[in-house]
Amino acid sequence: MALSDAGDVDATLRAVLADVLGLARDRVDRFDEATALFGALPEFDSMAVAGLLTELEERLGILIEDHEVDADMLETYGALLTFAKAKALR
Amino acid sequence: MKAGGGLYYDRYSVNGRDEWLMRIGEAEAPPILFLSPLLEEMNRTRALLAGIMRAVAARGFGCWLPDLPGTGESERALEDCDWTDWRDAAREAGHCAARTSGKPVVVASIRGGVLLEDAVEASGYWRFAPVDGASLARDLARSKLAGGGGSAGYPTPDALLSALAAAAFAEPQKLRTLRLASDPRDADLKLDGPALWRRSEPDTSSELCEALAADIAEWAAQCVAC
Repeated sequence: MALSDAGDVDATLRAVLADVLGLARDRVDRFDEATALFGALPEFDSMAVAGLLTELEERLGILIEDHEVDADMLETYGALLTFAKAKALR
Repeated sequence: MKAGGGLYYDRYSVNGRDEWLMRIGEAEAPPILFLSPLLEEMNRTRALLAGIMRAVAARGFGCWLPDLPGTGESERALEDCDWTDWRDAAREAGHCAARTSGKPVVVASIRGGVLLEDAVEASGYWRFAPVDGASLARDLARSKLAGGGGSAGYPTPDALLSALAAAAFAEPQKLRTLRLASDPRDADLKLDGPALWRRSEPDTSSELCEALAADIAEWAAQCVAC
């Protein structure tokens, strides 16, 4: 199943971040392109990265290879959203 | 064994070895066999499961939860268990609940528990947030990379992991599927709530417990009626 709408990918990514990191929904809803993630949120440790990737795979119907995962893609909300859209909307 | 508060610990036998079967509710009540999420997710959702079982029992059902071989209070080591043991355990726990109550079983499974449900002879199947084995196996491999040691702290045997990776959903006739509202995949009903199996610290949600329990009770009543 691939999503067809960029808005759906954005909503799914925010829901997964809230779920995996245990953050309040309204806080995640205020994330913008420049919001720093990995290294900036104490909740976002390497175990959370593992959970985030798997939950995104499940909910977006995508497969993420290990070599596609790097610090740049996890650095900001915008970078992660760009990655998720590229994967889900192809 | 009665533990008070409508909580009982029964025994069931898997390939000649006794395992524990937790029950909330009366032994004679219409039985619901719960199959919990697997491995690390099992620990994270124990409180959710207990909450759901308590709320379903309050609606007049007997709620049964097997400790799979090598997990929970099982005396077997997980290293010595394989996928067949878990499928046999689900089947035998279902038999035990049906025999004790004298009534057909309805299965309620969460996450990876869904992968064992077709081992159980039941009049209906209910799923919450089902996940396939390949996805669980990838998650375990990633957690292992991230956290070091075994698969999220478990010395999970390779044979069990490869069987898990190959495990896919069955397609029973009498099936109802629920998912979180934040999950875009198809479901019969979507509920608001947190993905508790993702939380690094176990948590629960009384609203989600109550909503899931109400849906299980309604579905089980329909399955028994037809």
